[in-house]
Amino acid sequence: MTAQRFRRLATLIAVALLVCMPLLSDDLYLQNLLIMTFLLAIGASGWNIMGGYAGYISLGNSAFLGLGAYTTGILAVRAGLSPFVGCLVGGLVSALAAALLSLVTRRTRGMYFVIVTFATLQLLGVAAATWTGLTGGSQGLALPLPTWDLSYQNWPFYYPMLALLAVTVAVSAWVRRGKLGLGLFAIQDDEDKAAGLGLRTALYKMIAFVLGGAFLGVAGGLYAYYVSFLNVAAVFDIVTSVLIVLAVLLGGRGTLWGPVLGAFIVAPVSNLTSTGLGGADSGAVRLLLFGGLLGAVAIFLPRGVLPVLQSWFRTMVARRSVGTMTDDGAETAGGSSNLPDRGSLADRAELTDVLAVRGVGKSFGGLRAVDNVDLDLTAGRVTGLIGPNGSGKTTLFNIIDGTVPTREGRITLRGRGIERAGRPTRAHLGLARTYQLPRLFANLTVIENIVVPERKFAFGRLWTKRVSPAERQRALAILDDLELAAHADGSPADLSYGQRKLVELAQVFWLDPVLVLLDEPAAGISPALSERLAGLVRSLRRRGVAVLLVEHDLAFIASLCEQVYVMSRGAVIAHGSVAEISAEQVVVDAYLGDSVVPIPAEGHA
Amino acid sequence: MIALVQTLVFGVLIGGVYALMATGLTLTFGVMKIVNMAQGAFLIVSTYLCYTLWDQFGIDPIVAAFIVMAPMAALGLVIYKVVIERLQRIDPGLTIVATFALALVAEALLALAWGPNQKTATPEYFNQAIHLGQLVVPRGQFYACVLAVVITVVLQVAVKRTWLGRSITAAAENPEGARLIGVEPARVGAWIFAIATGSTAFGGAALSFLYQFTPDTQDVWLGLTLSVVIVGGLGSIPGAFAAGVLLGVAEALTTTYVSVRWATAVPALLILVVLTIRPQGLFARTTRQDAAS
Amino acid sequence: MSDDSHVPLKSPRRQLTDGGSRGRRRRRFRAVAIAAAVVTTLAGCAAAGSTGSGPLTIGMSLPLTGAAADVAKAGYEGYQLWAAQVNAAGGLLGRQVKLDVLDDGFDPNQTGTDYTRLISQDKVDLLLGTFSSLLNAPASAIAARQQMLYVEPSGGAASLFDRGFTNLFFAQPGTTETLPDLFLTWLGALPVDQRPKTAAYLTQDDPSASPAIAVFKTRLRALGVTQVYDQTYDPSTSNFDSIAASVAQSAPEMIIQGAVTSDGAQFVRSLEKLNFSPRILFQTKSPSDGGYPGAVGPKNTEGVFTSQAWNAKAAYPGNSEFVSAYTKMFGSAPSEDAANSYTAGQVLGAAVKAVGRIDQKALAAWLHANTVDTIVGPLKWDGRGDPIGLGLLSQWQNGTLRVVAPKSAATSTTVVNPKPGWANG
Repeated sequence: MTAQRFRRLATLIAVALLVCMPLLSDDLYLQNLLIMTFLLAIGASGWNIMGGYAGYISLGNSAFLGLGAYTTGILAVRAGLSPFVGCLVGGLVSALAAALLSLVTRRTRGMYFVIVTFATLQLLGVAAATWTGLTGGSQGLALPLPTWDLSYQNWPFYYPMLALLAVTVAVSAWVRRGKLGLGLFAIQDDEDKAAGLGLRTALYKMIAFVLGGAFLGVAGGLYAYYVSFLNVAAVFDIVTSVLIVLAVLLGGRGTLWGPVLGAFIVAPVSNLTSTGLGGADSGAVRLLLFGGLLGAVAIFLPRGVLPVLQSWFRTMVARRSVGTMTDDGAETAGGSSNLPDRGSLADRAELTDVLAVRGVGKSFGGLRAVDNVDLDLTAGRVTGLIGPNGSGKTTLFNIIDGTVPTREGRITLRGRGIERAGRPTRAHLGLARTYQLPRLFANLTVIENIVVPERKFAFGRLWTKRVSPAERQRALAILDDLELAAHADGSPADLSYGQRKLVELAQVFWLDPVLVLLDEPAAGISPALSERLAGLVRSLRRRGVAVLLVEHDLAFIASLCEQVYVMSRGAVIAHGSVAEISAEQVVVDAYLGDSVVPIPAEGHA
Repeated sequence: MIALVQTLVFGVLIGGVYALMATGLTLTFGVMKIVNMAQGAFLIVSTYLCYTLWDQFGIDPIVAAFIVMAPMAALGLVIYKVVIERLQRIDPGLTIVATFALALVAEALLALAWGPNQKTATPEYFNQAIHLGQLVVPRGQFYACVLAVVITVVLQVAVKRTWLGRSITAAAENPEGARLIGVEPARVGAWIFAIATGSTAFGGAALSFLYQFTPDTQDVWLGLTLSVVIVGGLGSIPGAFAAGVLLGVAEALTTTYVSVRWATAVPALLILVVLTIRPQGLFARTTRQDAAS
Repeated sequence: MSDDSHVPLKSPRRQLTDGGSRGRRRRRFRAVAIAAAVVTTLAGCAAAGSTGSGPLTIGMSLPLTGAAADVAKAGYEGYQLWAAQVNAAGGLLGRQVKLDVLDDGFDPNQTGTDYTRLISQDKVDLLLGTFSSLLNAPASAIAARQQMLYVEPSGGAASLFDRGFTNLFFAQPGTTETLPDLFLTWLGALPVDQRPKTAAYLTQDDPSASPAIAVFKTRLRALGVTQVYDQTYDPSTSNFDSIAASVAQSAPEMIIQGAVTSDGAQFVRSLEKLNFSPRILFQTKSPSDGGYPGAVGPKNTEGVFTSQAWNAKAAYPGNSEFVSAYTKMFGSAPSEDAANSYTAGQVLGAAVKAVGRIDQKALAAWLHANTVDTIVGPLKWDGRGDPIGLGLLSQWQNGTLRVVAPKSAATSTTVVNPKPGWANG
């Protein structure tokens, strides 16, 4: 029995049980417990899209719950709207709020994002409490009681909640298996790199946030009807937010079913630990039990319960994780070149000047890292950038690709000024770059790493498969050329340093750029691999791409570059062909030294 | 006019108290980047200890703080070694869970040991004030403020001038690099965490005579102290003090001139405003790693 | 020059599976941990409830942990004393009373879940209410839906009683809206030149306080008192220095505060620091807290007015017996919260005795039609479950909280007016 089939069977049984439960047992308490569990699971699953897939931990979840609850409540009381309809409106309101919040938090990351969401929750709480005309303030808002027959117990709550949970998990799965999920996981691993590959990270995050908020909002509406009495302090409470986060962390953040599993642990446990033990001290005992349990799971099951269960299962079934999942890739015939063909050099002749840098500078405190640099890159030409360590080469790279902002100077890419453009925009205009220590997305497979770059944002595309068959074919062909096809479905962690450099270069190819910045591509790799890289650079050149290359290996530079810029202490001190600059005394003094004899440039292959 | 000055005086004084409450957190969250949800719990444990020393032995709470510092530091050491150090390596999110669980357990133990009733220490100065002409300067808060200044200075010196302080700063930024130069992040971290936890003794002492408290009181202080550290800027200890004062003054001004109802929203508002305009906090000099450029 | 800023902030997620014996041992350890967790939770499951005859179970969910833990502890003790006394006298309907108590941590969601559990799983025979309107709201709704009688000791928000529940009863002599009545009567009876001219109003945003202050405002204005300050503060407010300064600035002769817990004492502490003492000070709830004299300074309680549902010295039948029995059982004097819950027990017990069987509808109907004698006096209710009656007006005099009105319950014939200044230091 494969892991997948087991999972499907287990899910089916669990769902069947849950659906039949109210029919088999009339235990109101069990229904109540399950309804609260479903609520927590919906919140956890929705939260997981942002917190688990994208890695942004938000503590503001109760805000969405509260907005949904109060919208539904107010509509029920003022407009007599059935809460079953009102909760959908609540979901909409929450979705809008989530969109707003993501705009506000565009520039915040990590711990700061957590804090900002927490602060927003507080503010909303105060606002709701003060706007007593609308919300009833501290007096509370009472919703009409359910009108159906008692013999139906809580079925009208139970089944909609269960259905909503199913929808939430389904959407979460859809996201996870699609390009949206691909992008979110990439953002979690390395947001800057993702932006550099053209992913509109702000949009991705907003969509993730809106999804989580929407589901919570609808759940909040149902919840309001269920508890029938809303109070600001109780609804906009940090504890609910924390419980959602706890459920996800316990179950396994970033997995699909982890949040649901976590909810099914947290909700019952926090209920069951409320016992009649200890009399007046039973409360303290309950806290002890709950806190102790939480702590124990955090310490002994740090990745959450689900991943542990999964690895148990995997070792029990004794299968290797590499190479078993995913569809079979199409077999590709070798083919001389599977790299995207940009057409012949002749077509590109019109766009000769690809990059123009004028007067760019950057200071860090008192240090002048880049000083009034001018640079020109033309299509189909490889340009070298050399200089001693600390001369500002990488900073210049970072300025060109947008990692480091600067107010000095102008940068023009294909005629458009990009000094103020974000990284995704620069990538969309055709700028790509590699790093000295290759940055790949650890959460993605090798082939996913290659197909993740985006030249254009398309909303519809987000919902398609992570790797479409056509993409897979193309990517496999590239990997084949790089002799890495065997690793296609493996993890980047399994690759050697040199292989990772190649994959990073494959990402660059996928982006189909007009300008490529290569940061010490030949550093730390074998001569054979170095030669292969050089070959790839030449193929870029054939396609009319402009290449800027930082290197210390002069032979490498000499064999590839038609022209070279030399930097020292932040400024360009020389510019010309390899032979020209190596003759200049300034360059010799600053960098080359007397004993180095450059190899004359060969013909361009 | 005098009313405005009085409001400012109150603001600065309560701001000093906030800064005092946040002292441990500036080290753990600000320098070591650990989100410690048990900060409030540490504070309230210190409070109960200082209160008990006052109640049973008549020791002034502020003096008691110096005594309480030692067991609190030991507690911090143990918690760091057993819980935090392991989890930080795996996933910082787990530290949040584990310290949250710790706070729950602390609340339970406090309730079992001391009961749930409200308590407060009333040394003679608890309701006295120094009168400077028409200005009123409550004595209790004044002492707390002085303590805040002293501790800020001591911690700042410790972090910037001592080897221990510099090595924890280094280790927080780059654990591998620190190891290469002979600084073992785990060991150094344990010491700093212990110092940070020990310093909550003073905040706890202040809490004991400024407010009435129960085991449940910790929740309020967690949010407030996090605000102080965030607004001040991670890694800036004097910044946290300034942020505390800013917070106190903003609250006092809002209470007196805008609306009392909105006063408790001030910390949250301040956080949002500061983080939107200047994500690295008001007083941090370096740009944060995780602020998007 | 390499740029290290690109090192990912978190270590790579993919980890190779643990091989070898160390990995296996760790996995086994984890299995034990999980098993222990499961066992703990199963052990925590509530014991089976009572069925049919045998002990009479009464279910309740109390905020034994959380913000109201001190209140709940005293309240629970009141319930326990009542149950013990009932059992000593032969039980209810010949059956021994057993209390089934759950803790909800002051979380209304948990309260709802707890009461559902009590009703459907533990299948308790009767219910008793919890503390604070916040918690009583969901509980009373569930009780209403399941058509069970719900007598609650503490939770007077108007919104609770606006819902048309016929099963709901508030076991206190007065509501939040009638709380000011006795004080206003006393003030109105003062000669005009002795009445305060100005008043400052301050209240916590809480359903048990702010409605009362609203009544104060309108009625005092009608009595010719000018309002010089009027603010509402958030429940989490802990520092009152600035507020007190603003109040003092407006120089009121009288201050009326809607306090709920420690905010009353905190506000007074701030007033002391400023050395501003109004001629008349009325605070809801706070002055009857056990910790109040200690918190404000024992000499500073003199002359502070409050309104109570119960007073230890009030001469209602059974009251002094209640006080001595409680002190004997728990080693300290009872607080108002303990008295409230004891009263709720009395109400429930009276209904059960009179009706003679456990019939929730009949019990509710009987309570609507009758008066119950309790330690807080005779209680009767309107159709909504609101009590028809008045509480007590009390004042701290000479270190004791004495009842000054109504005359039938008064333990002091004098009223301290004006309030003396603070005794600082």
